Amino acid sequence: MSKPRVAIFDFACCEGCQLQIVNMEEEILDLINLVDVVEWREAMSEQNTEYDIALVEGSITRPEDEERIKEIRGRAKILVALGACAVIGGVNKLKNRFDLEDVRRYVYHDDADMPHLQTAQTKALHEVVDVDYKIPGCPIDRKEFSYVVKCLAVGKKPEIPSYSVCVECKMKENVCRFEYNEVCLGPITRAGCGARCPSNGFWCFGCRGLVDDPNVNAAKDVMEKYGKTIDDLKHRLALFNTDEERAHA
Amino acid sequence: MSIKKLDQAALDRWVDGLIERKKVVGAAQRGDHFSFGELTSASELRLDYDMSILPPKKYFLPPTEDLISFRRDGGFESIFEEDPMVLLGVHPYDMFAISQLDTLFSEDNDDIHYRKRREAITIVASDVQTASEDVFAGCMGTATIDHGFDILLTKIGDQYLVDIRTEKGQAITMGFGEMPDATDDDLDQRERLWAENQKVLRKHELRPAVGYLPKLLGESYDHPIWEEKAELCFSCGSCNLVCPTCYCFDVQDELNWDVTSGHRYRIWDGCMLANFAIVAGDHNFRAAKSERFRHRYFRKGKYIPEKIGQTGCVGCGRCVSACVAKIANPVEIYNRIAEGKE
Repeated sequence: MSKPRVAIFDFACCEGCQLQIVNMEEEILDLINLVDVVEWREAMSEQNTEYDIALVEGSITRPEDEERIKEIRGRAKILVALGACAVIGGVNKLKNRFDLEDVRRYVYHDDADMPHLQTAQTKALHEVVDVDYKIPGCPIDRKEFSYVVKCLAVGKKPEIPSYSVCVECKMKENVCRFEYNEVCLGPITRAGCGARCPSNGFWCFGCRGLVDDPNVNAAKDVMEKYGKTIDDLKHRLALFNTDEERAHA
Repeated sequence: MSIKKLDQAALDRWVDGLIERKKVVGAAQRGDHFSFGELTSASELRLDYDMSILPPKKYFLPPTEDLISFRRDGGFESIFEEDPMVLLGVHPYDMFAISQLDTLFSEDNDDIHYRKRREAITIVASDVQTASEDVFAGCMGTATIDHGFDILLTKIGDQYLVDIRTEKGQAITMGFGEMPDATDDDLDQRERLWAENQKVLRKHELRPAVGYLPKLLGESYDHPIWEEKAELCFSCGSCNLVCPTCYCFDVQDELNWDVTSGHRYRIWDGCMLANFAIVAGDHNFRAAKSERFRHRYFRKGKYIPEKIGQTGCVGCGRCVSACVAKIANPVEIYNRIAEGKE
């Protein structure tokens, strides 16, 4: 069996998810033993237009990005969205709450008119092209990444949890953040991170996006039980889940 | 076998002696809550704890547990991860739950992974000294216990009664010097404490008799409460995951990097989770939140009693506290469906 050829690309992002791959340290040798990495700007000089699996980090924020992701989609047999920016648009979607022209001027000042600084509404990859698999999170979880790569290498469908962060939080025997009067997005956020934030004393920020069928209406009602308002919930959702916050406003 | 009596200092010496020889796990303070964890000194043991966040079930059925290692060409080997320990301070309702798991895991297909862990653990139960906020064990007949444990500790004044019931219990009390016998008066005091705990551990009052629950539920399949409560349900599974009698698990395979070998493990699952009932062909036979919500209360109050003759809820109240939406109180639900029926 020949090794699947893998190319890693990025769009608007901090490249932190790719850094997680670099951070696999000794396991990275296992990775390159299993797959043939043919392009990866963050870690190697070679480029290649022939690949089976495209791992794509970042969200689509400029008109020319749309063309580029469509080209990648056309070449790849399997396209995997890597991290919050690619899967749900991530923090980049905060831009969509403002006038795009204002945003561009605010960020680039005098350079705002340069042609490569055109801007558009931020989109997650699936809003532009078909995405086969999603590895959520800000950043991605290395263990989950390894699991998905191994599944793809043998032609098995990877299963990303459909349940909420509460499941993993309870397994870690954490005290519920609501008991500390915090608004935690755990009950509506997709698990798979091992409840990393609640296990380290923070509420869940919702970086993995919402579960398949989130009970956002319940979340609103529950706010009252804890002396919170719907605005408290919406503020918390805005960071990673701007679309959801708007859809349920 | 025998009932001994120790003061706090002697009890601490016994526990410290055990720690030198064995892995000892007990109820200890963790932040502003309590949880079971490995002890390094008797001073960490808090027999006055009210409730542990997770039940001691986690030592018999851990959140994740390897079952086999396999090769893709077909060969496999079982993995057993039994972890010998002395488990200190198990409350009566949690002891009832462990005995229930013993029954369920040995029925039909004997679960060897469970049994090996179970056999390696010596259980020192402890009568409750501090009632937790939501406990209702008094209503479920689980506030005190007479069987299942190896040793039962009961605090009487400033002394502990040490009721040794099994060979395993005997084994961990040997070699620690003479322990004086409890007197008839001590045993009378213990009887009074048990009677008191039956009354105190009732923060929620169940109106229907426990034995009536299967029939009551049988008549309440279409009760509006299931729909009503499920409106607020996140399907987060917290009630399942903190429950001492919930024992459902999922089985998953994970490959090694060579992708020719791997391991199969089990991981806690819960009937409130949206995908719990998905079967082949992606059919979900409990797709609606209200169906899942109803199932949990049927499971505890009807299906388990019909299977093994005891109720599936031991009244610890962990689900009451753990539910973010505050809809998971079994007492409230059973009382509500019993309205107008008594």
